[in-house]
Amino acid sequence: MVSKESEQFLTELRFYLMSKGKNDDEINEITEELEVHLMEAEADGKDVSYIIGDSPKQYMKSIGESMSTDYRQMAGLVPLMILLLGAYVSVGPAIEGNFSLSKGMLWIAIIAGSIAVGAYSLLIFRVLPKFLHSKWSAVLLLGASVAMTGLMVMILLWNQKQGFEPIFTATPFQNNVIVAVCAVIFIVSAIYTKTWFTIIIPLFLSVGPIANRFIPQDVNEDPTYILYTLIAFVIIAAFMIFIFMAKRKKMLNNGGKRNV
Amino acid sequence: MSDTTQMLKGILDGCLLAIIKEGEIYGYELAAKLESYGFRSLSEGTIYPLLLRMQKEGLISATLRKSTAGPKRKYYTLTEKGEQELELFIGRWEQVSSSVDNVLNKRGI
Repeated sequence: MVSKESEQFLTELRFYLMSKGKNDDEINEITEELEVHLMEAEADGKDVSYIIGDSPKQYMKSIGESMSTDYRQMAGLVPLMILLLGAYVSVGPAIEGNFSLSKGMLWIAIIAGSIAVGAYSLLIFRVLPKFLHSKWSAVLLLGASVAMTGLMVMILLWNQKQGFEPIFTATPFQNNVIVAVCAVIFIVSAIYTKTWFTIIIPLFLSVGPIANRFIPQDVNEDPTYILYTLIAFVIIAAFMIFIFMAKRKKMLNNGGKRNV
Repeated sequence: MSDTTQMLKGILDGCLLAIIKEGEIYGYELAAKLESYGFRSLSEGTIYPLLLRMQKEGLISATLRKSTAGPKRKYYTLTEKGEQELELFIGRWEQVSSSVDNVLNKRGI
């Protein structure tokens, strides 16, 4: 176990190397090696600055320069992001059983998708590394994600009002196939990026369409049930905040040490 | 980076190779050995970018081994190429150090 400060450094290093397109296996190797070093050094009474010097940023840079950039892995991320965006947009209508495609929608998807991929790449590879040591990094990432999701929703709503002529309307069977394909994309992305986000976010996004498809219309529009749903969500949110605060308090009581 | 560190750039590679030649060793031990030989102004982490580069150049090889506590340790050994590089370094160093000695002691050839 390392101190909170060392853990923060290792997280930042991992993020920095990822943002520079370094190979995952090599990132794991160097962060594990440094973790062992930090652990032993801290046991000997040294702190993180004794190991990485006065400038963590400079140290991260020197580590990054010694590692090769994995262009194959980076090249794999772009199609994955495009597939993910497509899956995010398609999964809702497919669950509701009314997936369709129009020329206008395809154009919007291509333009909005390109902008989103470009903006995310710029944010992750160029902007975020400059803010790594600032508390603004998390705000920036979250803000950009929220803004991007909001923009997507606005584009979708605008698209629905345009009444473009569909060139393809899915049959009930095709809708189910699309849902299955989207699920595969989300799972593959989760395995590829080693995070749960690409499974958790679509699950949340799918709650509404699932309710629309499987719950009868009169129940769905009943104010009592809407109120029950809202209360359930508030309770879940409160419970999650409580767990988060309890964990934080426990960590602070342990003198900032990770409690694993 | 301190002036001493700047001076040591390039020399450290050779010193690391020489220490690794003594026997299989992992990062923390390596840093401690460097310190015991008098390299006290260096940050311990300085060795890792160098080790990464030397590993990539095939001068050293690494094996992961279980440790008594915590994650696995990465142990380094010298390769044949590393031994040749160390020999070259020793030759170059002897030449540089005798030249510097001559300058400092005003002994022209």
